[in-house]
Amino acid sequence: MTISRRAVVGLGVLGGSIAVTGTAVLLQNDPAMRGVLGKVDTLRGYAGGEKMAFIQNPKTVRALRRFGLALDAERAGSVDQVRDPQLLGTNPQFLWPSSSPLVELARKHAKVLRDQVIFNSPIVVYSWTPFADGLVRAGMAMRDGAHYYIDAHKLIDAVLARKSWQQLGQQDLYGTVRLISTDPNKANSGFMFAGLSANLLAGDVATEETLPAVLPRLTELFRGMGYKPDSSGKVFDDYIAGGPGADPLVVGYENQLIEWILADPDRWARVEAAAGPAKPVTLYPRPTVYSAHPLLALVPQAGRLIDAMMSPDLQSIGWRDHGFRGPLGSVGAETDPLIKGRMPNQIVAVSPMPDIDVMLKILQALA
Amino acid sequence: MRSALAALAAAALLLAGCGAPHADFHIVAGSEEKTFEPIVQEFCASRNVTCRIDYKGSLDIGLMLEGANAPDVDAVWPASSLWLDIYDAHRRVKDLKSIASSPVILGVRLGKARELGWIGKPVHMDDILAAVTQGRLSFLMTSATQSNSGAAAYLAMLAAAFGKPDRLDPRALDDPEARAKVKSLLKGVSRSSGSSGWLKDLYLSSVAAGHPYDAMWNYEALLKETNDALRARGGELLYAVYPADGTTYADAPLGYVEHGQGKDAKAFFDALQAHLLSADIQAKIAAFGRRTALGMARPAPPEADWNFDPSRVVPSIALPEARVIARALTLYQEVLRRPSLTAICLDFSGSMQGDGETQLKAALQTLFDPSQAAHSLIQWTPQDRIFILPFDADVREVDQGDGSVASQARLLGAVQRQSADGGTDMYACAERALGEMKPFLATGQFLPAVVIMTDGRSEAHQGFNEVWRTDGRDVPIFGVTFGDADARELDELATMTRARVFDGRADLTEAFRSVRGYN
Repeated sequence: MTISRRAVVGLGVLGGSIAVTGTAVLLQNDPAMRGVLGKVDTLRGYAGGEKMAFIQNPKTVRALRRFGLALDAERAGSVDQVRDPQLLGTNPQFLWPSSSPLVELARKHAKVLRDQVIFNSPIVVYSWTPFADGLVRAGMAMRDGAHYYIDAHKLIDAVLARKSWQQLGQQDLYGTVRLISTDPNKANSGFMFAGLSANLLAGDVATEETLPAVLPRLTELFRGMGYKPDSSGKVFDDYIAGGPGADPLVVGYENQLIEWILADPDRWARVEAAAGPAKPVTLYPRPTVYSAHPLLALVPQAGRLIDAMMSPDLQSIGWRDHGFRGPLGSVGAETDPLIKGRMPNQIVAVSPMPDIDVMLKILQALA
Repeated sequence: MRSALAALAAAALLLAGCGAPHADFHIVAGSEEKTFEPIVQEFCASRNVTCRIDYKGSLDIGLMLEGANAPDVDAVWPASSLWLDIYDAHRRVKDLKSIASSPVILGVRLGKARELGWIGKPVHMDDILAAVTQGRLSFLMTSATQSNSGAAAYLAMLAAAFGKPDRLDPRALDDPEARAKVKSLLKGVSRSSGSSGWLKDLYLSSVAAGHPYDAMWNYEALLKETNDALRARGGELLYAVYPADGTTYADAPLGYVEHGQGKDAKAFFDALQAHLLSADIQAKIAAFGRRTALGMARPAPPEADWNFDPSRVVPSIALPEARVIARALTLYQEVLRRPSLTAICLDFSGSMQGDGETQLKAALQTLFDPSQAAHSLIQWTPQDRIFILPFDADVREVDQGDGSVASQARLLGAVQRQSADGGTDMYACAERALGEMKPFLATGQFLPAVVIMTDGRSEAHQGFNEVWRTDGRDVPIFGVTFGDADARELDELATMTRARVFDGRADLTEAFRSVRGYN
């Protein structure tokens, strides 16, 4: 049903009080009309940092209001929000972490009434043109328009072997092939990358049986990163602020660079116009893992939030302004010309995450 | 901070002749951000907010946040987020954003760089080590435990010494070979300080005196500021050596310190941060030689005559967790740094009677209490050599010791036995101190300093300047003022010897702590 706000107001003015009352009773059962009638329920909960910009986007706020909803969302790490007794002790009404395995973990600590994946974002590696091109020349990556694909196994091997760029035949690049992610015990992008790496090292989805053999190398991979920030936002900010010298390769979500470009088109124009080869680029690991963004309803009203988030309006804001793919990984209908060609329509090589008990063992080893 | 309205009200009160307090937003920043004070002040003025910026070393900023109570500051702007990671356990600092960054590199006098064959060549930490070992190179470097640029240089040395220069492996800290290498590298420290901005001034004053130091570890941007000043006066430039093994960046984050100030302060902070990150201001910041974030501003143009290029990709070193870094800093202070040779002249003249004497003894108690000193990372070690010279019109006695626990207790006992009486002659004490230090100075092993604490006026003593110039071996003479001390006399000594005077009137303990960061 599409009735604009103005139309309803108009109806009220023209139809007199009885008509208004009658309409109100009728429309109250339609979730998309509640807010129009002025009834707004505020839901309190936790969300991963990568979704805060979407949650705070005025378009999102307006769209939710039409559903009679407002969000009081506090930023919390995905792993923390589903298991930290302190956070759960505040009786949140919803949780919005960033990966499916965490739903299972949440069920161990809270009563989840309903859960639904709202968005999807593959895990990617951000780098800079000279390094990406170096990886292409070294036979580890290939370019496809404005983005790249990288052989995830070869990348991890090079990082573990502490290969210098010179050893990869790239004489003009300094230093070693160095990669960092968030702390897997605190934030989801590191958690997901740990799962992906475990799969790659195991040669298949890591299981209780194969895990012991891969743990030493997995530990070495994460230990070698040194200090790991506790949020994907911080890793991405450091990447942007530090540049290619400080952060040659970082693990992130596909939508982060998109969101950054769209947030300030003038800034992006300056990046495009700048002399010098170092431009930010996205490397899609093959295979990668999908970071789903499941919304967990812990109280009945939060079920309405799930319905609202699944509506075409909110799905479209998620893609158009923030680069989040839909629940099935599909791209939205309308793409901003600024980011054209930066995201493949389909992510073909997707690996499932190891199950949550395996992941918990991995977290323990990496703590 | 109060609102602009309050500022207006305060101004009105001032006009009415009452000395009303003014609106205030208090920032504590690293000395290297001093360059941007005019930009900040201009913004504050445009909002009718009176801003105060105090400059502190990175460790001091960290310690300030570590305490049980939130400090009375509205924002911090340290050289690097590293120090917040170590010390801000209460997470008091919010909304941190990097304003600009700069790698820590080695600036080498052009003639020296040419002599070492480093022009246009990749220079590794091993090359620097070789030059130091052969006695061909020494450098200025801030104290790794007090100031970020020194810490950055030191951590890079440690990473390189372990043979894995792209990251500081925690195992490096316990590796005897890596330790030995770093210790040898740190023998190259000719002067130290607690502040990177001050180190730049020290270099410039050495040039003005006609005896320029060989080199200086500092931020790429501060080397540019140094060279801009040298260019203006026709001095020999410092050649930028970007260590080929990797370096450490300072990210200069500006963050809000929550202590219940209310919404106005936070709104002002947000506006200030957004202003500093606006395209116009970022362009100004970049023009000073800082590196700005992607898409912010065009970097300053390269200056080939000293190898400066802020567009150059300089690989950074991956640093370990905060607790490992904290342990590395302790290792620096207790094992690897060049040992101190410190002579402390303490004024026990009659005017110190009463409160002055009590405060002085309390300050020395802190300085020689191993656990309190360790908290501020200024602890002594048995390798250090210490002289205590209580004086009035004459030097009363000379107590010599080292930094062992027993020796510190003995030195402290000597101080506690003193009681204030008599006249004041700090020059006599300074001269005696130099005499006592002489045999140790001859070994070349120590980083020397004389520290004079005085509350009075000494008789003019022209003779001393002559003594220092002919036989002072470039020993800096630091001053700590107290009571109604004539700061001019200490200033003159400090200027001549390229040292610094610390104000002990507000907090004598703090002043002694600061001076330790320079030695």
